[in-house]
Amino acid sequence: MAKKLAVVPELCSGCRICELICAIHHFAAANPKKSAVRVLVTYPHPVMRLPIVCGQCKVPLCADACPVGALKRTNGVVRLDTSGCISCMKCVEACPFGAMFAHSGLDYPIKCDLCDGKPQCVEKCPKGAIRFIPEQSLGEARRMNNVLSYAHMKEIEFTEKGEKKSIRYAEIGKEEL
Amino acid sequence: MSIKSGYFKKRLHVDLTEGRCQRVPIAEELIERFIGGRGFGAKLVWDNLVKHDFQIDPLGPENLIVIAPGPLTGTYVPSSGKTSFVAISPATGLYGDSSAGGTFGLELRQTGIDMLTIDGRAPQLSVLFLDEDEASIVPVPELAGKTCLEAEGMLKDRFGTHEVKVAVIGPAGENLVRIACVNTDWSRNAGRCGMGAVLGSKNLKAIVVRGSKDLPVHDLRGLVQESEKAFAYMRNHKYFRMWQREGLMMVMEYASAAGILPTYNFKDATFPRVHQINGDTMLGGYKIGDNACLACSMACGNICLVKAGRYVGTVTEGPEYESCAMLGSNLGVDNYAAVLHATGLCDELGIDTISAGSLVGAVIEGYEQGILTLDDLDGQPIAWGDDAAVMQLLHKIARREGIGNTLADGSKGVIRRWPDMEKVLVQVKGLEQSAYDSRAASSMVLAYATSDIGAHHARAWTIAKEIEQGKNWSDEEKVDLVIYHQSLRPLFDMLGVCRLPWIELGLNEEHYARFYSLVTGSPATLGELLKRSRDVYDLTRLVNTKLGAGRKDDSLPYKVRACPIRTGPTAGKVVDQATFDRLLTLYYQKRGWDAEGIPSAEVEESFTAKA
Repeated sequence: MAKKLAVVPELCSGCRICELICAIHHFAAANPKKSAVRVLVTYPHPVMRLPIVCGQCKVPLCADACPVGALKRTNGVVRLDTSGCISCMKCVEACPFGAMFAHSGLDYPIKCDLCDGKPQCVEKCPKGAIRFIPEQSLGEARRMNNVLSYAHMKEIEFTEKGEKKSIRYAEIGKEEL
Repeated sequence: MSIKSGYFKKRLHVDLTEGRCQRVPIAEELIERFIGGRGFGAKLVWDNLVKHDFQIDPLGPENLIVIAPGPLTGTYVPSSGKTSFVAISPATGLYGDSSAGGTFGLELRQTGIDMLTIDGRAPQLSVLFLDEDEASIVPVPELAGKTCLEAEGMLKDRFGTHEVKVAVIGPAGENLVRIACVNTDWSRNAGRCGMGAVLGSKNLKAIVVRGSKDLPVHDLRGLVQESEKAFAYMRNHKYFRMWQREGLMMVMEYASAAGILPTYNFKDATFPRVHQINGDTMLGGYKIGDNACLACSMACGNICLVKAGRYVGTVTEGPEYESCAMLGSNLGVDNYAAVLHATGLCDELGIDTISAGSLVGAVIEGYEQGILTLDDLDGQPIAWGDDAAVMQLLHKIARREGIGNTLADGSKGVIRRWPDMEKVLVQVKGLEQSAYDSRAASSMVLAYATSDIGAHHARAWTIAKEIEQGKNWSDEEKVDLVIYHQSLRPLFDMLGVCRLPWIELGLNEEHYARFYSLVTGSPATLGELLKRSRDVYDLTRLVNTKLGAGRKDDSLPYKVRACPIRTGPTAGKVVDQATFDRLLTLYYQKRGWDAEGIPSAEVEESFTAKA
């Protein structure tokens, strides 16, 4: 059964253990900048921690952008043939989600390969914010959240330096946090 | 036992007066003996003192500030996000350091240096930008007066990416407020000892870093295995989920029940309305997300939002226990939203929440007792629980307006102007006491008194253990525990990791010796590392004694010896001078210091020799 990475940003604490272990696993390097997963942090408006992961697209735009055909999708994983790569990094720019990465110390881009079916980011995440789930279950967390949002979504208004602003938030119960 | 890895063996030195940035090698001996973080800082601050013949104005260009992560910072070791900021403290005039979590330390290391040292004074307000290739000092007049968060946002825009990490000071630091902090990574502060004012005195608004280098690790595979053991231990701990959910906020209930929660400026030690400002209240109506430092599974940070009422729209990380106690129960404030807002305000203005809460509490009590007049308060009265007045006072401190101008000079400044305030200010060496009432446990009084930076719990936190197990402890047991803590806890700061996995979840400290050995390739036992940490304690003591501090400064605050706790399980407790003197004498003996608390000439010699 094809499985994919899914994220639950509400659970992410921004500890970057996923980044650390990914770089260790793929490059034997203590260097989160060599990771194929990244936690994007925005603060304070809005407060968000979003792990960026590869979706292994069935029509991979990264592969489309590759002029030498070094990226290919096989068995549900888009893999990079590093020997064929010419290091143009067009794939990095082509990914609609920014889920491919470049590093000045590497001659090729960093591409998620799902760790041969056992993604380390999922294994090590202490909050369960990155999950590896069957394709038909994708969106599960979002659906769940939507239910919560419908139940408790609230909007508040406030004034900051004379400027009216509003924040929408889901009233998440104690147990989820 | 040479050091094989774990270090870049490079320091970036920035002379702001000359506008010069230079990478200089770090000597092997320094690395071996002082490990990193606070250890590096202490040695370099000492060398700088020697160079200036022990004449240093904490706010002068000659006060060198050392910003140093440790060899474990940013590796896979649990909770390895710490960076130490070390300099002569403007709050105490003595040795000062403070550590911040987050990810700033990792980024700093990834530029290929083990530490950053800064002295001099920039001709105008500037930021220091550094990556692995260059370092530059950039004037930023437009950031003058900006709050920490505003400035961090503007800097991230200016440097074109939000992958840069920022350490920044607020208006308080710029105004040389002696309790000013350094804010890193939005909300992780090096709070104590006025490190923000040191940067302010150098006209340095912020440090912006971007790095991408591999961290040197001798045996990465071994390190991951060892770390996994530690992570597994933590994950299986019965309080692990509680930590993720409440973090340090769970201490509120405990401290109040145990009778050690600062309440009404340490008049009481239990707060009847603690349930309104505890972890449960936070979870019930305020928490909107977790925040963790690097590689930390405990994620003790709580991001909170006020959703209604006067403080609606306030978003901040925290408050954690210290902030919540000092700005909450200590001021009689029982509205969690107000505490949250005050914490956020301190972050924005760039002032230390502990010192701020303590000073404001002293002002309220001073006014209540008639030590301060309404005139002294600029005609604006303040009373327990008056949150609006608290916010106003915080603003005044950061901007040095009215009474704020005196409070901005910290306890020492306040006592200089109003000597009677000594009776209500709970402080040692000019640093306001952290949020654990030491009257309940005499070992904690000793810990505060002998802490090198002043009354802070980071050096030794023996209070819980003494309350739980120490009823019949001998003096010797108490002193030994204080010294053990004072050796182990600073070791975490030297290695660049957080101590919470050990102190809160009981992670065996032996792990850290193995982490160190695996990272550096230089096997060391915990005992050997503790010896080095103990040496650093001797060194910071020397810094202080050379600057004129001695036994008289390892003091018992008036309140702790003369004002019994009024209510609760610890009611009636004080620590009398005789008990304290006895403990202190024994402590000096065990340290190998003389009766005045001065380390021996041989010890001094060992630090003055070339390193």
